[in-house]
Amino acid sequence: MSSPDAGLLVALVGNPNTGKSTLFNALTGLRQRVGNYPGVTVSRKSGTCDLGDGQKVELVDLPGLYSLAAASPDEQVVIDALSGNIAGDRRPDAVVMVVDATNLLRNLFLASQVAELGLPLVLVLNQADVAKEQGLRIDTELLSRRLGGVPVILTSAWKGEGIPEVRRGLAEALSRRTPMKRVVWPTDIAGALADVAQAASTDTGKAISAADAQRLLFDTNASTAERLGWTLERREKPVRSARERVRNSGYNPMAAEPLVHYAQLRVALDGVVAEGLGKAGRTAAVDRLLLHRVLGPVLFLGIMLGFFASVFWLAKFPMDWIQLGVDWTKGVVAPPLEPYPMLQSLVADGILGGVGAFLVFLPQILILFLFIGILEDSGYMARAAFIMDRLFSWCGLNGKSFVPMLSGFACAIPSLLSTRTIEDPKARLATAFVVPFMSCSARFPIYALMCAAFIGPLYGPGWESLVMVGMHCVGLVFAVPTAFVLTRLVLKVKPQPFVLELPRYQMPKPRDVVWRMWQNAAEFVSKAGTVIFAITIIVWALSYFPRDASVAERIRAEHPTESAEKVKARVQAAYVEQSYMGRFGKAIQPAFDPLGFDWKITVGVLASFPAREVIVSTLGVTYSVGEGAEADSQDLRKAMQDAKWTEGPRTGSPIFSLAAVLALMVFFALCSQCGPTIATLAQETGGWKWAAGSFVYMTTLAWIVSMAVYQFVIRLT
Amino acid sequence: MNLEAVIVGAVIGVAVGWLARRWLAAARRRKEGGCAGGCGCTDKLKPKR
Repeated sequence: MSSPDAGLLVALVGNPNTGKSTLFNALTGLRQRVGNYPGVTVSRKSGTCDLGDGQKVELVDLPGLYSLAAASPDEQVVIDALSGNIAGDRRPDAVVMVVDATNLLRNLFLASQVAELGLPLVLVLNQADVAKEQGLRIDTELLSRRLGGVPVILTSAWKGEGIPEVRRGLAEALSRRTPMKRVVWPTDIAGALADVAQAASTDTGKAISAADAQRLLFDTNASTAERLGWTLERREKPVRSARERVRNSGYNPMAAEPLVHYAQLRVALDGVVAEGLGKAGRTAAVDRLLLHRVLGPVLFLGIMLGFFASVFWLAKFPMDWIQLGVDWTKGVVAPPLEPYPMLQSLVADGILGGVGAFLVFLPQILILFLFIGILEDSGYMARAAFIMDRLFSWCGLNGKSFVPMLSGFACAIPSLLSTRTIEDPKARLATAFVVPFMSCSARFPIYALMCAAFIGPLYGPGWESLVMVGMHCVGLVFAVPTAFVLTRLVLKVKPQPFVLELPRYQMPKPRDVVWRMWQNAAEFVSKAGTVIFAITIIVWALSYFPRDASVAERIRAEHPTESAEKVKARVQAAYVEQSYMGRFGKAIQPAFDPLGFDWKITVGVLASFPAREVIVSTLGVTYSVGEGAEADSQDLRKAMQDAKWTEGPRTGSPIFSLAAVLALMVFFALCSQCGPTIATLAQETGGWKWAAGSFVYMTTLAWIVSMAVYQFVIRLT
Repeated sequence: MNLEAVIVGAVIGVAVGWLARRWLAAARRRKEGGCAGGCGCTDKLKPKR
């Protein structure tokens, strides 16, 4: 990628869900994540955009926002970026303002505020295809003239239409340096703005821009004043007096800004949009069904059940093929290493046993993200958030909390970052605290392993998907009361209205869905080849050493009449039990005994605290080493089905009883087992207090609930 | 010490060293205010093939 000429910087700004990231990808050739719901971009992303005439500029994709009155941290990022107040970044040379072509009036409010910054601007009316479908005809030339001659371009970024025109428009804006026409303030408001600018300038010794003066006069939050170093004591009197002047002119100072902007925008848009006959009612008709008070949640549950059933059904055969591939590789690699038993065990039991057990779940991960991509891109995910809000709003969470909570079902880390869209710091904290309860995709392999090995074979395939949905709900069931206690009793968060914008339905774009699948598959495989691979080797070493030859001699002496094969199996099992891992697991196991976990599961649980998906590879290693590399090839599922207690009151009974299987899944659903999540929580909450609290709370809760499940189910079965 | 033990020891050493280095790098990134890592979010901007 070549670097931008002359260091020109262009900012991409717009309301949430107007297709900024799609346009950014089209202009830069990058592949930033896009989604059909608001709040996808929560931090600054940049790339190089070729303007077509050989000139290159750096294009920055900023988070979506509705106005320049910064209420949340991500909105503050945009304002700081546009004002050149981000350390290491300069002020942009131009702005590409992306607006929804189907909703010009509301979208142009932000454009009109950005115009106050005086930067050259290109107005991109995106989603032109949808506007056309709705029968809207937009006179871009007339709009351009009304807005002071800025280039106005119709695009459909996801179809790649209008992209060359945007490049040309940007080149034109940069050469002609055309700003958008500014709003004309009524005399008294203009006077109040001048008073505030004068007072701020006198107190701070800085030149105050028109945009800053507006923020100081119209906003209730103090971010602009703090940035300018205008203290509360100094600003209180002049700001109050300026607001009084606005009030005396007949405007509410808190509402004056949108009222004036909208009044002038209505004039600018007069005759610009011609409405014909279109399909505007289609989304509303579908929403009447999908968002119905009773039918909506029922359909949502049905969609989720179908979703997980399809994941199991479609992934079954590819999973078997991968297992066959792993077994075949073991069969090829192990025999030549026969003279070197230690090396043979490392390769066959450790690396292939552990990494293979993890890789088997690749097809399910792929299909999982295929469906998530389809649900997101079609616009249904935002409806799901709406339905969830109706079901759980009583717990006191901010309406905006549901987007991070929903995306927490994929991964908690970007979800914790996306809590930055929440204005109220207390609501943000409460949301960040409960996000790790959402059942992320790292929990998926352990659920899938347990369902495939025990629930499916015992109760049939229908139960697999039902248990899967249930496990994804366990986190929610505990997140809601936790949020209730936090928001109502501990943090005392003020209730906020739900502000999620419902996007229109659209056909998912195969390229984006496949790209999402590819990204997640690559991440999964890369994890298998790096972190899981390294941890597997360590777990193998701890399960293999020490190897005292006297153990084998003792077993042989104790069982002189048994066949060589049986004695070999006993020796392997004895070696694992006296290994470092075996000794450690047995020492800790009493703490997990009330949950029905044997020492091997205990070891798996402990090894999974840095990353929960490690459980599968750890079980893969401990069960492979226990069987011995020479044993008949059998996958982890079979080995677990055959595992029995060898000591204590449960001797001879299966380790993985229904009670233990459910307890293990519940433990993983609730326990805080992800190092990066805890670190991100500390980063986002500004210290380790809440992160440590979350770890202790979730882990204790997981132990208690898992124990209750085991004790209850064991008495029933 | 035989060759087999040397090879296995080296593999284990490399695995432990690599994990330690990775965790230290993540801790440094966090200290500098970057992503805590694990989600791959910082690596997702890639040029089109």
